[in-house]
Amino acid sequence: MDNSAKHLLQRLVRRIPASMLKSTLDKWERLTAEKRKSLDFTQSKWIITQELVALCEKSELTVKHITELEMIYITENPNQGMWHTFQLVEPEDDAHSVELMQFKEQFKSHLRELQRNVSVKIKKHTDQAVWIRVAWGDGLSSPNHLKATYVVLYLQTPYVFVNALSSKHKPLLLQALTLSTRHQQIKAANLSGQKLTALRDLLMRQYQQVFPTKYPSPLAESDQSISKLRVEKVQAEASANRHRMAGETFGDGMLPALQSAVFKLETKFKDPTNEAMTQRDEPFICSVKFSSSNLLESLRHCASSGIASTPVTPMLSSIPLKGRNYFVITDNVLTA
Amino acid sequence: PHSGVVKRRSKSQSYRRSIRTCFGVASGLGLTPALTARRMNTSRKAPRSQNITEKVKPEHLELLVKTEWQLSYVTPLYQFRHTQLKSYSRQLSAFIAAEKQEGLAVEVGGLQNTFKVSFSVLQGLAETSDDPETVLIQVQSKPMFARQEDPPKTVWCGWLSCINGNPEYLQSLPKDFTCLPLFCSKGAEDLSSLVKSWLQRTFDCCFGPLDINQTTLQWLAALWTNCHMETNIQNLKMIWTLPVLPPLQVTYTVDSDDVLDLWRSTRESSAEKSREAEDEVCIDFSEVTRFMQGLMSHFYRHFRVDLSAGELNQVSSALGSAKVNGKIKISSSRYLISIFSLLTECALLKMPI
Repeated sequence: MDNSAKHLLQRLVRRIPASMLKSTLDKWERLTAEKRKSLDFTQSKWIITQELVALCEKSELTVKHITELEMIYITENPNQGMWHTFQLVEPEDDAHSVELMQFKEQFKSHLRELQRNVSVKIKKHTDQAVWIRVAWGDGLSSPNHLKATYVVLYLQTPYVFVNALSSKHKPLLLQALTLSTRHQQIKAANLSGQKLTALRDLLMRQYQQVFPTKYPSPLAESDQSISKLRVEKVQAEASANRHRMAGETFGDGMLPALQSAVFKLETKFKDPTNEAMTQRDEPFICSVKFSSSNLLESLRHCASSGIASTPVTPMLSSIPLKGRNYFVITDNVLTA
Repeated sequence: PHSGVVKRRSKSQSYRRSIRTCFGVASGLGLTPALTARRMNTSRKAPRSQNITEKVKPEHLELLVKTEWQLSYVTPLYQFRHTQLKSYSRQLSAFIAAEKQEGLAVEVGGLQNTFKVSFSVLQGLAETSDDPETVLIQVQSKPMFARQEDPPKTVWCGWLSCINGNPEYLQSLPKDFTCLPLFCSKGAEDLSSLVKSWLQRTFDCCFGPLDINQTTLQWLAALWTNCHMETNIQNLKMIWTLPVLPPLQVTYTVDSDDVLDLWRSTRESSAEKSREAEDEVCIDFSEVTRFMQGLMSHFYRHFRVDLSAGELNQVSSALGSAKVNGKIKISSSRYLISIFSLLTECALLKMPI
């Protein structure tokens, strides 16, 4: 095992939490059960790393094997780093018939044509996702395995999720993806976040959605005075109405844990009480970022509690409906 | 109690004593009407760019700006003398050493010199003749594994000040009290509490946390925006938290030119007033409110979300940042005085009198 492989292994072990180390190594299958048993996972991580490096050396493992271990870890724990979404458009006639083997071959050959010294690993995950790991080198240097790009796509769907892609390599990767999936173009889908699963669920509509129906009234009959009853009834109706409309926009059950949404606003300032600003020609430039541990749940609660007026504005409902969390708003788009 | 020896007293006992004396002194001297009747000023001068470098030493300015300070208020200090700073330095050094020694039987002796305290006057921050000069306290220490020749590092820093304090109140104080209501500190929490408890015991004062409340944050948003006429503030950033589950944070950043236009437009409607006093541009809180309402209504028009249902937590610009939990950072010395005048006022109001 050379130094770069050792270094890669050390860095990787440092990233993997101690509690997951054993199960991740078990799935790797590059070390015999006997060798794995010899590791004492109660020791400090530093010592485990030393022992692991020695074991891998004995088993004559190479960089290639270590990258397999990395892929296992990343595939099982995808919710880290920043994932950006791209969308494939204008499919060729045979786009629907692209299958995994063909894609693998095509992708590798296209990418290698564009860039020498790339190392590509493609693996199909249990949930139909195709995972691609690309380590980039340039004309002379060998691939840098410490900064690998990860790509996740589902064949026959238009969305591609990408992690850790430099702007230098972006056009190369996108071109290889477009060609090998038999599409004519690929564009940024304006959706990004740390949680890959949330982005995927949002785009693939893998969450419980609600279609407009009337909710049953939550108010039980009681024998209070008529006026009080009426007030309560009106309030309850308003509240039920808000809940229904919040549900119609954001669904009823668990929502994908999207963490933020950004709006760049370049719109006119309109306020009947402020003549000077309303008459101004230039747009009022500002940006608004919403963030939460689960943005869609927060927004649903905003609507159902009345902090956000119902029906929910298209600006906010676009997040789940269009599956986007980055928007540039100008007056033309707003009226369209 | 002002001899070189530090007497140990139980903390809670001393605290209770000082609180009691504070209240006692205040009510006994009839100070109450001067302060309880007061509210936050509803009008203040627009901040003017000041070349403060002529008044304050550059090394002091360097210390004050670009640092995030944790704010507290302090009640007036009893028998504090600006001429006794050397003696205070010795006493506080000894106090810290004694407190740190507690429970460390092994290292007696060695610790005596680990913390070196220096009190000094930070000249030039006081604005009026009633303002006592600012007092700077620094605690220096040598890192555990430092070499002999390494210079000691400042591990804690704090200052007590009164900038543009209410003259009525300052003049009403009895002779033996010095009012430095604003306490800014940075550094380890345990050192902060040691310094505070020494000041409490020595000058019979008490400390409390100073939040930067909604009103003050709104004032800062308006004052900073006003500064854009002279100095580029880049943009005005405000962060709200809305009370939903899970909590929703809204970061609203406005381009500096546009936010200044909005500020001017809200000022124009009250133009007659500002014309009256041409050399002293005064800002009224009603203008600040209108300005914030303008920002919120633009937001509501797009998102139909009511920001006033939430809490403003943070305001920042290229000139500095302020957080609701009492943390402030000033990035440009040019408007230092106006910002700290505002905070002095907040500290005076927060004092339990």
